This record gives sequence, C-alpha cells and structure tokens, in this order.
Amino acid sequence: MKKIVPGLLTAVLLLGGLESCNNKLNVQPVSYIDTAQAFNNSSDVQAALVGCYTGLQSANLYGGYLQFMTDLLADNGDESFVGTFTQPQEAQRKALLITNSQISATWLSAYDVINRTNNVLANINKLDTPAQQASGEGEAKFIRSLVYFDLVRAYGKAWNDGTPASNPGVPLVLAPTLTVTAESNVSRNTVAEVYTQIITDLTTAEAKLITGGGLNSFSATRYACAALLARVYLQQGNYPAAAAAANRAVSTTSLALNGFYGANFGYTTANVSTSSIPAGLTTNANTVEDIFAIQVTAQSGTNQLNTFYARNRRADVTIQPQFLTLFEAGDSRALLYTTPTATTPAYTRKYDALYGNIKLMRVDEMLLTRAEANFRAGTTTGATPLADVNAIRARAGLPALTTVTLAAILKERRIELAFEGFRLGDIKRNMESTADPLTNATIAWNANRLVFPIPFREINANPNLVQNAGY
Amino acid sequence: MRNIFTPLLVMAALPALAQTQVVNGRVTGTDGSPVPGATIVERGTTNGVTSNADGGFSLSVKPGSTLVISSVGFAAQTIPVSGRSRFDVVLQNSTTDLAEAVVVGYGTQTKADLTGSVAQLTSKDVGDQPVQSFEQSIQGKAAGVFIENSSGKLGQGIRVRVRGVSSISGSSQPLYVVDGVPVVADNLSSTTAATNPIADINPNDIESISVLKDASSSAIYGSRATNGVVLITTKRGKAGGTRFNVGIQGGFNEPTHKRDFLNSQEYVMLLTEALVNRGTTFAVPANIATRLSGYAGGVADPLTYDTNWQDQVLQRAGFQQYDLNASGGTEKTRFYFSGQYSKQKGIIVSNQYERIASRFNLDHQATDRLSFGLNLTATRSVNNRLPNDNAFSTPMQIVALAPITPLIDPRSGQVSGALDPTTGLPNTGFPFYYNPLLSIQGGSYVTTVYRLLGNVYAQLKLTKGLIFRSELGTDVLNQNEEQYLGRVTSRNTGNTNGYGFNTNQTNAKVIVNNYFSYKNTFAENHSLELTLGTSYESARISGNSVTGTQFASDSYRTLDNAAQITAGSSFTTSYALVSYFARAAYAFQGKYLVGGSARLDGSSRFGAERRYGIFPAGSIGWLISEEDFLKGNTTLSLLKVRASLGKTGNQNFGNFASRNLFAGNAGYAGTPGQRPYQLGNDVLGWESTVQYDAGLEYGLFNNRISGEVDIYRKNTTGLLLSQPVPGTSGFSVRNANVGSLRNQGLELTLTTRNFVGDFTWTTSVNASVNQNKILDLAGPDILGSFLNRAQAGQPLGEFIGPEYAGVDPANGNALYYLNSTNADGTLNRGTTTNINLATNVPIGNPNPRWTGGITNTFTYKGFDLTATLIGVFGNQIYDGAAPFFSVGFNNGYDNQTRDQLNRWQKPGDITNVPKAIYGGGNGTGQSSRFVQNGDYGRLRSVVLGYNLPSSLAKRGFLQSARLFVQGYNLLTFTKYTGWDPEVSTDYTTGTNNTTSNNISQGISFYTAPQARTYTVGLNLGF
Repeated sequence: MKKIVPGLLTAVLLLGGLESCNNKLNVQPVSYIDTAQAFNNSSDVQAALVGCYTGLQSANLYGGYLQFMTDLLADNGDESFVGTFTQPQEAQRKALLITNSQISATWLSAYDVINRTNNVLANINKLDTPAQQASGEGEAKFIRSLVYFDLVRAYGKAWNDGTPASNPGVPLVLAPTLTVTAESNVSRNTVAEVYTQIITDLTTAEAKLITGGGLNSFSATRYACAALLARVYLQQGNYPAAAAAANRAVSTTSLALNGFYGANFGYTTANVSTSSIPAGLTTNANTVEDIFAIQVTAQSGTNQLNTFYARNRRADVTIQPQFLTLFEAGDSRALLYTTPTATTPAYTRKYDALYGNIKLMRVDEMLLTRAEANFRAGTTTGATPLADVNAIRARAGLPALTTVTLAAILKERRIELAFEGFRLGDIKRNMESTADPLTNATIAWNANRLVFPIPFREINANPNLVQNAGY
Repeated sequence: MRNIFTPLLVMAALPALAQTQVVNGRVTGTDGSPVPGATIVERGTTNGVTSNADGGFSLSVKPGSTLVISSVGFAAQTIPVSGRSRFDVVLQNSTTDLAEAVVVGYGTQTKADLTGSVAQLTSKDVGDQPVQSFEQSIQGKAAGVFIENSSGKLGQGIRVRVRGVSSISGSSQPLYVVDGVPVVADNLSSTTAATNPIADINPNDIESISVLKDASSSAIYGSRATNGVVLITTKRGKAGGTRFNVGIQGGFNEPTHKRDFLNSQEYVMLLTEALVNRGTTFAVPANIATRLSGYAGGVADPLTYDTNWQDQVLQRAGFQQYDLNASGGTEKTRFYFSGQYSKQKGIIVSNQYERIASRFNLDHQATDRLSFGLNLTATRSVNNRLPNDNAFSTPMQIVALAPITPLIDPRSGQVSGALDPTTGLPNTGFPFYYNPLLSIQGGSYVTTVYRLLGNVYAQLKLTKGLIFRSELGTDVLNQNEEQYLGRVTSRNTGNTNGYGFNTNQTNAKVIVNNYFSYKNTFAENHSLELTLGTSYESARISGNSVTGTQFASDSYRTLDNAAQITAGSSFTTSYALVSYFARAAYAFQGKYLVGGSARLDGSSRFGAERRYGIFPAGSIGWLISEEDFLKGNTTLSLLKVRASLGKTGNQNFGNFASRNLFAGNAGYAGTPGQRPYQLGNDVLGWESTVQYDAGLEYGLFNNRISGEVDIYRKNTTGLLLSQPVPGTSGFSVRNANVGSLRNQGLELTLTTRNFVGDFTWTTSVNASVNQNKILDLAGPDILGSFLNRAQAGQPLGEFIGPEYAGVDPANGNALYYLNSTNADGTLNRGTTTNINLATNVPIGNPNPRWTGGITNTFTYKGFDLTATLIGVFGNQIYDGAAPFFSVGFNNGYDNQTRDQLNRWQKPGDITNVPKAIYGGGNGTGQSSRFVQNGDYGRLRSVVLGYNLPSSLAKRGFLQSARLFVQGYNLLTFTKYTGWDPEVSTDYTTGTNNTTSNNISQGISFYTAPQARTYTVGLNLGF
C-alpha cells in the first residue's frame, strides 16, 4: 500500500499534467491580433487604410521632423535653432552625422507607412464595393507616393543634379512584408525610377479618387493627388505638367484662399494683434484653403512643429532679421511673426496651436506653383502668373503687381510657405545656394552636405545599400 | 527549508529505534549565547533534532553513535557519544562548514554533498543596511555575482549579473525564488527608469541566500536558469520561548561626489571667447552683452550672480528604519512575524522611498506524517520618483543652466523660470532651459506598490525517507503611478493648465509545485537523494492608464478634475509555464559524489513549433579529504574537487515574441485604425547555454584558511536575438534564435581566520574574472544607445566608434583617426576633422574585467568591526552628456565642466580640448573622446558594533542588546571624473527594450551619483 500511493500520485501528476498542459500553454495575445486575422473583411481593410494616415502623422514624418530638419538643412540664415538637441543642430550646420538618430527615425517611419499602404493594396479586393476599392487604392497610392517623394528628395540627389537615371534614389518596396528573407536586403532604385513610380501611382490615384471620392472626411482627394503631382512635376522642371496639375488641384469651388493668411494657422484678424497666444487657438478644422492636412487632436498625433517653434513651448527656433526684412510694409503675413526686442528674438506664430492640424497642401501653394510653372513654360493654364501672384498679394494686403517676374513669384513663395518644409526642395530646383552658419561659406545647391545620409543603422542592417557621396 | 525537513526526518527515524539512549545538552556560541536552531544529527542516519531557543536539545541515539552538531555560520562539530548523556557544545564561528545545509532548487543539500557551484550568503550579509533592496548589500560579497545600482535614485532597477551577460535580447536578470516561489521581477515602471520589485522584500526577513551559478545547481530551473537563480529563504520560528527583536536605525545620506562646473566668471569668459570664435553677429560685443544680460535675469553686470545649480538639487537627507519581529513557538507550531517601517530621503531633492513590510511565517506539525505552513509577506512601498535621466525636468539636468542665472529671478521674486515677468505668464525663454526646480516646486510623481507574496505548503511523509510536498504560491504586485505637473511646469509639458497621469498595473502569478523527495542511506555507504515533481506557473500583467489636462487650478490633481482626457489605455498580457523536473544525488562513503538533474519546460512564449525544451545537467565530486590518506590531516583539512556540465535556458523575453501580430492602436483623430506590429517566428524558442564548471574547495590548517576556486565556461547558442532588419521592410527588428556568445571566467574565494580567541580577525576575499565575447550574430551588428554595440568578436556592449585623435595644434580643430585600410593593407592612422570619415573601431569595454571584494571582521569581547571594500576593474564608461557639457560651448550655451578651460586658444597650443566655438560642433560627435576608465575601489560598508554582555543585558530584561554605527560608500578610489563610476543611465538600461538594456551598458547621462550614508542603530532582543 505504502508503495502504491506514491506511485499512483506520481502517475496522476505526470500524466494528468501532460494531457492538459498543451491547453494551458495555448495563451493568446489580448492587446494584439494575429496577422492572419487582420484582413478578414472590408472594415479591416478600411482600418488598415486609416493606419496609413496615422503613420503619416508620426512626429518623424509630417508630424514635424521632416519639415523641420529639411528646413534647417536648407536654411541660410532665415532661422536659428538654439535648442540643445544635436540632431537639428547637425542639420543647421549642414554637417549631418550618419548616426543622426532623427535621420534614422524618419527613414524607419517612412518605410513603416509604405508597408502599411502595401498591406492595404494587397488586400484591396476585400473592400465591399468597387467605389470603396477605387477610394482605397487611390488613397493608399497617394500616401505611398507622398512618402516616396519626400524620401527620394531628402535621401537622394536632386532631380536636376546630374543624371537621375543613374543617381541612387531610395529602394522601392511595393509589396507588404510578411517575412524577412535575403530578398529583403533591397538595393537603392535610381532617382528616376522612384519618380516614375510616384507619377504612375499618383496618376492612378487621381483617377481612382475621381471615381471613389475617399472613404473618410480626412481622406486624400483627387485634388490632393493633383497637388502632389504638381509638386513632383515642379521638382522635375516639367512646367507644363506642373501647371496643369496645379490647375486641377484648385479646379473646384470647394477650395479657395482664406480671407486672412493667418487663418491657416488658427489666427483671425482680431486676435492676431494681441501679443500673447490666444486661449483656445486651434487649427483643428480644415479651412477652404486646405487641400490636405495632417489631423492632430489632443488624443491623436503630435505636432512637433508646435513643440519646437512655439514660443510658449521649447522656443528652440528664432526667426532672424534676414527673413523679417523680406516683408513689404503692410504685409499681413508679417503678423505671423513676433516683433523682436533688444532682449527677445522673433518667433514664428505659425505653430502656436497646441494639438493643431498640420497643413500639408494648401491652395496658396498651388496658385504659386501654377504661377511659376506657367511663367516658366510661357503658358497661362488656368490663370496668368500675374493673376495668381496678385491673388496671393491681395490676400496679404499688398498692392497688385503690374508685371510679374520669376524673382517676384519665388519671393512670394518663400514668404508664403516659410518654415513649412519647402526650402530644401526649392533651393535645389532653383539652383540657389545656402551658407555654412559657422564660416558663412557658400554651399552650392547640389552639395553632398545637403543630402541626408543613408542612416547608419540601415547600412548596418542591409549590406546592399550604398551610402551617399560625402558620408 | 532545513527546519521544515528536520522534524520530518526525526519522525522518519522513530520506528527504527531499538537499543537507544537519550542524550541532551545545550549549544552555545563562543560568547556564551545560546544557538537556537542548531541541527544535532546521529551521524550516518536521518535521526536528529534542532536546538530550542535556549540552545537546548534532547535526542535518542544508539550508544556507540556519533553526534554531528551544526548550524549556519558555525563550524560543525563531531562528538562520539561514548556512553555520555550530557553534551554542552560550544560552536566556533565559521564560514566553511561541510555539514551545513545549503538551499538548492526544491530542497536542501549538505555542503559536503554539493557538486554544484553555489554562492551562499546569510542574514548577516544583508541585514540592517541602509539600502532599499538586498542586492545592494551583496555586491562584492559573492564571487561571480556582479551588481550595479544604476544611480543614486532610490528604489530604482538594479543590474544583477551572474557569471556575465548571456543574452542580448532577453533579460539578463537572474530568476528570484523566495521560499520556493519564483517571484515577479518584471519592471512595471511607466517611465524608462526601471523600478525594482525585489525591493518589496524586507532584507531583514532574509535568513539565507543561495545563488545557483553553475548548470548542475541551476538546471532544475530549466528554461529560466541561464542567468543564475537566486534562492531566498526567509526567517522561520524555532521552538522555545517567544523572542522579540527590535531594531532602530537612523542616519543621513549625501552624494558621493559632485562634479566641477564653470563658475560665473569662468562661464562669462569662456562663453565670450566661444562667441567671438563663432564670429559674425555672435561676436559683436553689444550682442554678447545683451545675451549675457538675458541669461543673468536682465541685470547689466553678468557677474551679479554666481549660482551653483548642482547644489540646488543634491542634498543631505535623512534615513530611518524601525524593525520589530517576534518568533518562537512549540514543537508542533512555530512562527516568525515581522514588521518594518523604513523611510529614506534621497540625495536628490524630492526623491524618497518609504516601505512598510510585514511577514508571517508559520509551520505546523499536524500529525506524525503531515505538516503544513504558510509564508506570507505584505508590503507597501511609496516612492517619490524622479523623471528618467533624459528628461529636461530631471533634477540633474539643472547643471546645464548658466551660473550667471540667478536662483531667484529679481524681477519676479520667484525661482528663475517660474513666471515671465513681462507677461505674468509662466516662463518663456528664461532661463535658457526649463528649470527642473519648477517640476520639484509644481510637480509630483508618486509610485505606490502593494505586494502580496506568499505560499502555503503541505508535506506528507509517505514512507521512510519519502516525502511528498505540495506548494501553492501566489505573487500579486499592484503598482500605481500618479503624476501631476502644475501650471508652473508648462514650458516642459505644454501650456495645458496642468497635466495629470495615473496608471495602475497588476502583475499576478500563481505557482503550483508538487514534488516527491526521497533521502536514504543504504548499507551505510550508499546515500541517495531523489527529487521528482511538476510545476505549473501562470502569470498575467494587466494595466490601464489615463492622462488628462485642463485642471481648474493646481489644487486639483486627480483626473476626475481634468477637463480634457488626452490619452487612456489598457492592456493585458500573460504567459504559462508547465514543467517537470527530477534530480538525483548519490554519494558513496560520503566522498564519491554523483549528481544529475533534468527539467522539461513547456512555455507559451515559445513558438508553436517549439513548445518544449529539456535541460539536463550532471555533476561529479570527490571529497579527497575523506580518503584515508588525508583523513585527520590538519594541514590539508579539506580538499574537494567537483565538476559539472549541463544545459540551461533563457526564456526571458516578450510573451508573444514568436507571433506575427497586428495592433489596433493606429486610430487617426477618432477613426479606428490598425497597423502591422511584429514579424513572427514559429520556431522561436529558448536560448541554450551549455555550461562547464570545475571547482576546488580547500581548507588548510584546520580550516583556518579555506576557500573555493571555480573555473567555468558558458556557451550560449540560439540567442533569442531581436535582429535588426532592413527598415525598408517596414519593421526594424525580428526575433530569431540565431547567434552565439560565450562567457568564461574564474572565481576565487578565500577566508582566513587570522586570529581566533578573544580577539578574532577574519578576512574574506573574493574575486571574479569574466570574459564575455560574442561569437556570432548571424546577421548585422546590433546598435545600442550612444556607441554601445553588439558585434561578433567583441564583448557585448563594446563601445565602437570613431577614435579621437586630439586637437590640431594649428587651428584647434578636433581630429579623428581615419583607421581605414590603406591599399597595401596597412592601417591608415591619418587624421580627419570629418568624423563621418573615421572608421568605427572598438574604443572601450563596458564589462568589468574583474570584480571582487574584501571583508575584514574583527571582534573583541562585545565589540565587532566589519569593513567591506569592493572593486570593479577594467571597464570603461561613456559620458553621454559630455557632448553637451564638456565641449567648450560647441553645442550651445549649456554650462560646461571646468576641464574645458584647457581648450585650444592659439596656434601651437597642445591640448586635448578643441577650440571653443559657440554652436560650432567642434569635437561634439560621439567618439572615444568621451570614453573614460571606470575602475574603482570603494569602501562599501563599515560597521562598528557593541554587544552588551548577556549578563548585563539580562539585568534590563533583555536577551541581547547591540549598538552599532555604520557607514556606507564611505570612500571611493577612482580616476573617473564623472559623478560616480557605479553608473548605468536608467533611460537606456531600465527600459522595456531588453536588447537596449543589455547592450547599452556603461553610460552616464546626467546620472545622479550614489549615496554615501551614515547611520546609528540599536538592536534589542527580549
């Protein structure tokens, strides 16, 4: 008996255990779901598409860092970064280190969004209706193109610098990643290949969104696709196409200039005159001028431009006299800058709204693009360059010009779109120069220093990637 | 554990009694005080008892037998009965005792029979020390166990590394087992500064600690054993009168070291030079004057103020601790109850750790066969915490402020930055950074932990020597973190009219252990021990958090008063572990020893295709001094050799690391969204470590000199690696079992009893050498923070980066060695000013080459003096904040360390400090410039105590009385110029990213120095 009891106990414990333990080990995640369950139906695909916009909202991309870092890299003395973060300092000195963590974070976030769009596109047929499918495809391709366009401009040589057909751009990844294999060690496509893909995708997207119309209120529209195409063509110097695309982007009665420039940044003509930041200042409602904006709320996203630029936040960026002297007397756009005193520098008021939306594409940009493209092409698609520039000037409270020059158009553009992430692309396509803030030495538009390095973490992870010249 | 077993062993022996006699007696120490709980065993049998509270015992033995009397911390004595019946035994203090019981996994073994490598510590090593958690007390006391307190912040995570780091992406902390129950050791902090769940265990409740180091001792914990296993046994009651112990201790803390920063005059001089060197508008004298005046609160003379900001956040602060425990009981029921209140203020303002701990340990002998009991601890700790080292608001970052900035702004009469005097609104642009004092003034961050840890057990004697034991344990840790930031902090957090954050997390686990243990001796010569059992463990962490802004006033601090809820979340994650384990130990004539163990672990963390792992180990030992040719030899009184080989695992990684996952946390401005979250791996499993160990235990001159030598090698393969993947995939890492690394080393311990008698002097020395090397990563290098890296052929975390070549005497530019390969294959030692062109090369190793400690103990009459000196050598430290504050204003206006006064000034200057150029980036890139040697020796603790003679104590109705003074971290010997060489910044090593935690070692980043503590204490027993 004495020997049977322990024997039985052992048997019960061991065998009973074996039977049930496989069940016990079958613990399922609660906060996440298996990838295999992620695309069961139409609303799953819609949710994945929303996730693409959320990706764009990342601080590393259009939440602010992309605009901020490229502006600092291009700047020749309009602004001064006075904060302690080394990443923007390196950009301002035009001496980016390959280990710059922001350059790496932007790359990772960009391809994260690209993978999200690729997941949507791979499952697009699961959307219920053809209209939904058209919308989903259009929106995903718009988002993918937006990210590729900024990637290739930041990490590759400019379109007009040498031979785009052989200059390395960024790797084109057009299918979702389900597993990482040797083939995941992609190589860089050429600048031209990336542009070609962008134009193909955007052309498709514009057509699909004419059919579909977008799945959400914040969705990219056919006008956003046209606006992005206008940017792409302008960067390539394809002026007729740029003028045509910019014209399409504003060819709707639902889009127009706001009466007051500051309305794009939450201000009214009344509250802009107070020196402090008005309580409740917000940019959370899109205005008639917005073609595409990154939505930010107190619960969703970060407005990193508010963090860096706003004078009641880090106040890390001061606006220099060189920029402030560009304004003609009476220019109401100057109200978006604080007045410097003997002890206090000037700050921009464009990003004073905490949790403010970030206006990525506006009608004013398209008018200026149409004006410039028409002027350079010698055409008047949609409107004359003079009419477009005067529309911008009139809104700013400035007298109309009687004749227009390229310099006048570019000056309006510089003022209108200042500190919104346009400078780097503009100085490159216009073959302007910038300056080393330490030595004041001129830096040519096509200098290696004005191209982001391929992040060190990426070169480390993927031996097939070739570093940019100069790094 | 020992005390649970012994009575059962007594029962086991009862039926075997035949011709017996009763012996009785009393066990005392050399000072005449009773030794309760000593084990008295009839040699070669399992017949024995323990002494009662007065040291008395009574036992029936065979007339010709021999008694073995032993107790932890004393040398065992062997006395032939020879017909006598009264034995008054005086035990000598000892650290080497072969009969001593050693707590091992699921049982105990005698030291003599042990064939594994186990470091043992007792209550004396961890009791009454002015620290929050016991690990802090054992640094330098256990060979092969490296302990690092990340900073002088209280209640923070502590790195414990047993025989090196064996994992890159899994946790490297050991498994902690308290009274048989593996406990929660997960960091639940919602900041990147880890908290330490082990601090919930009152160090004064600890009876003994066993650190299982080699595979033969640890493999019974299978897939969790690679990092070593720390077995903690708490104090238990002993039969006899009820004893009370009261402990009172008080004292104060202060920082070990402060760093030298520029004073006002130096700041103005050097900043002016840097601005002039920058040129353009920066160099215009009027602009410089305006700038300096702006920094100096608007006064015209920038030298008006000279503020030492460091002194504003480092302080001298108090420590107090009160202990009360009661223990005792009858032969049938024994108890140990304790309570503690401890409160320690930090050396950094606003930091405080407060703990109330209680323990109930109860053992009951229900029948001859059945006993059961309870171990339970309930703790509440309240930690007033600080932000992580990388936050603008962390107090130590105050050193960035200019010394010319006044502490109190003359324009507002308030702390600089509290108000903007021109607008009356909170702070804009003055001082040039957010002033961390504002977070102390207007913010709070309180972490409250409630912990209930315990188990019930029942033990049944089935037949002679065969015991079945069942344990049901639970560990519940509830952590609440409550943060409020008032309006005055708005510059740091946004102008939101207050900011509140509240999170609750519960980490609960249930453990069931069922096992048989069998112990018997056959034909006198063959002794056998067997253990066989199962274990089931299931754990669940769940939590939620809410963040809100817009409070009516700073008087409202809870989130029900927030007008806007800006974030909220909840989560749940869990795992299960099903295990079978077995161990056998056989000894022939007590001198030839063989052991073996195995564990089969099934874990829900493992991939679907790889659910179960088996972890076997074997060992042999030979107690040479028991051989006839050595027996009785007093010169070589102990000689034992042992060797072991076994396999252990590590499954200390994310609960769902093997799964392909999508996350639904990608909503966009109120619309739900989802996103890809993780790449999976169905064959993901444990990391395997095969460990070889050979040991020698020796005793000379009747064990006046004794010690151990161990040599080991741990080969870890199938590393659970969070491998970098091309970011173009949309992911940055994936988990795979690839790559291998190796730790190998040598451990030495030596104890000499230099003087015995009235005056005793004992010296204990231990030293460990560990070499860590990554053999293969099967893929790209893994980059850590700063320059830390995992790279094949290098130790884990090696600093790999540009090599600084000093300053060009011609122009003051920082230079870096190219270290590229010339066409002819030679190394190009040419230099460049472009750090991007400098090849990344190994420039420092954060892993200590060797660590050790020396403890000297002196006693004379009632006095005792113990001093522990520890040493850490051969490691380097990367000063991650130096690119901000040791670069001659090349990164902006942050105040600089005084060594920057040695900067290059004119052609021909020979110096290592480049030309000061305001915002110039000259020499600011991460390089070997910021690497320093981290060697240090430290007088860790000195305790001087006086024990009242028991005759005197008894007059005051006391059993014992002890008065002591102690100093902790009294002296530090180092050439390191930073705050403190015992450093590891919390925001890279305390995160939930274990890859970063393992790789990013040896970083200082505005990290607070350690505390130096002085206390006076009194212990009374009655």
